[in-house]
Amino acid sequence: MMSLFNLGLAAYFGALICAVVYLLSRRRVIDWVANGLILAGWLVQTVYIGQRWAEAGRAPFSNMFESLVLFGWTVAIVFLVLRLRTNIPWLTAASAMLSALALAHASTFESAIRPLVPALQSNWLTFHVLSCFLGYGGFAVSALVAVGYLAIDRPGSTVPAETRETLETVLTRTISFGFLLLTLGILTGAVWANSAWGTYWSWDPKETWSLITWFIYAIFLHCRFVRGWRGRRAAWISIFGFVSVLFTYYGVNFLLAGLHSYA
Amino acid sequence: MSEILPDKAPDLPSPRNPVLSLLASLKFALVVILLIALACIAGTLIPQGSQADAFLEQNPGAQRVMHILSILGLTRVFYAWWFALLLFVLAASLVVCTYRRYLLISRTTGAVRARVAGSFITHVSLLLVFAGGVVRVLWVQKGTLQMHEGDTVTHVASPDGLFPLPFSVRLVKFDLEYYESKSKPVDDLTGRLLLQWADKKIQTDFPIATGVVHSIRAPDAPAGAPAAFTVTVLQYVPDFMIDSASGEARSRSAMPNNPAVQIEICGGGAPHTQWIFARFPDFASHDGDPAAQPLAFRFVMVSASALAQGGPDIKAYKSTLEVLENGVVVQKKVIAVNSPFTHRGYTFYQLSYDPQDLTWSSLQVVKDPSVPLIYAGFLLMMAGLTVVFCLGPWIDGQRRKKGGTP
Repeated sequence: MMSLFNLGLAAYFGALICAVVYLLSRRRVIDWVANGLILAGWLVQTVYIGQRWAEAGRAPFSNMFESLVLFGWTVAIVFLVLRLRTNIPWLTAASAMLSALALAHASTFESAIRPLVPALQSNWLTFHVLSCFLGYGGFAVSALVAVGYLAIDRPGSTVPAETRETLETVLTRTISFGFLLLTLGILTGAVWANSAWGTYWSWDPKETWSLITWFIYAIFLHCRFVRGWRGRRAAWISIFGFVSVLFTYYGVNFLLAGLHSYA
Repeated sequence: MSEILPDKAPDLPSPRNPVLSLLASLKFALVVILLIALACIAGTLIPQGSQADAFLEQNPGAQRVMHILSILGLTRVFYAWWFALLLFVLAASLVVCTYRRYLLISRTTGAVRARVAGSFITHVSLLLVFAGGVVRVLWVQKGTLQMHEGDTVTHVASPDGLFPLPFSVRLVKFDLEYYESKSKPVDDLTGRLLLQWADKKIQTDFPIATGVVHSIRAPDAPAGAPAAFTVTVLQYVPDFMIDSASGEARSRSAMPNNPAVQIEICGGGAPHTQWIFARFPDFASHDGDPAAQPLAFRFVMVSASALAQGGPDIKAYKSTLEVLENGVVVQKKVIAVNSPFTHRGYTFYQLSYDPQDLTWSSLQVVKDPSVPLIYAGFLLMMAGLTVVFCLGPWIDGQRRKKGGTP
């Protein structure tokens, strides 16, 4: 089964190389190969996750290895859906790099299938984790777009205004998607907690940091839609939000003990 | 992606009343949200409640800093009056903003109207969640039951003291279940012996290693007391069977299809040997007088990696409960984590157990009138956000297809 994992990693890595070559050569066919490799990597990962699901008899979303695999998968699917509607050449390279990094990092963790602790034996596990990670995928792509925006939006830049507008639209769209899914993730987590322990909110570090992340993106959406904030300010909030996502997902697991310590 | 998102949502003029004007201000609301977020960050980074006490024990030098943090309410952030005040101010701001959005709905059209309506629904949902939180703080009944098998209780312990139940609850039985190892080569498997005394108190467990003599002291024996028993693992067979020709036990195969160990117990009477089976924990074959032994053994097969992590994996812990009204059993239920049961508004959750005493179980009992309000808030929130982020753009798209403006 690990060969599928490695195949997915290789596909993303190949996509990264092709996307960089395309940026240097501007040969259209190479761009298609890069995008095709991301699609192939995502399909292979889908099969891998499905196989692991069947073998474990449960959704494979219960430890760092499995969640990093899922993270790479969600980044790829968010990028691919976005790619159907718009073409931002360097985003192919950035997304492939992020998915490859997630899988490469996953490979440093124990990959053996372990039985679920009693607290995780619930159908809510699938809905809660999948929603959160699809949201994380949206936020990750939005952060990549924000970094790209800040890189091109400099004094004397010759990048056309249309490109900037496309990036701003993608930024807002991915954050809107991420916000919707993160909200669903937080709410399903609360319902699950209530069915497991009789309390839907207990200020556990993971819950609290999810709320902090939710606040940051709520601030972004209010600034964007009520105040009309665009450009660099919106990009910086997006990056700041993704730092909070990283801490919610990663930092809390290793630095703060709580109900999600097993995650 | 050719469409361009709307630049800015329409708004109403600011109210003349200065307090309402402040509460209607987005800048003010964002400052309050930022302050709540900062408080939340402090609440996760600074040790809270009992963690603060434990932190002080480990770091006596931090006493002064922790004392200052305690005075500021930063060691109980989520229960501090100022945190509640921040939430109250945010709720007040939400009320004003929600009303203004309600007024805006009738003054807008098309996709903008959908977005404003979605935003209105989302803000109403947040108010419902806030209201649910207030109902919970005021009227929730929540406490823990700590029971031994056979105990019957009528009151629940909560931080505010005991509260009565309108019925009695009896813990009939507590069960701990372990995961069975899947078929793997025998080299990858090993096992543990769990040693139980007659009162089900587990004293110890130890890895299977043939020939090693384990000395066992009674659970209530003082330190340094001599061993009451010695236990020696004589042999392990992965696939137990009795050879029909010789009548001897042997392994049918190298696969752990029916793992068993033979142990010798000395002390408290004549030495005797006993077979224990991983797949049939309630069955044991003795060649001595088992009644003379106040000990019971369980043989648990685990993988080597599980052993390195401290023992077999626990699959479930379950309590069998009986509800009694006027001395008559009206319900009998088995509860487990993620599988509570409710009787007359009181829900019983499996909380924890004592690995040293498998007759003991800890349950959470909750009667929470806020749940319908909270769940209604959750449903409305998803509906509102779906309208904002899905219906609004869809209407935009339809208009664009028809050549109109959003």
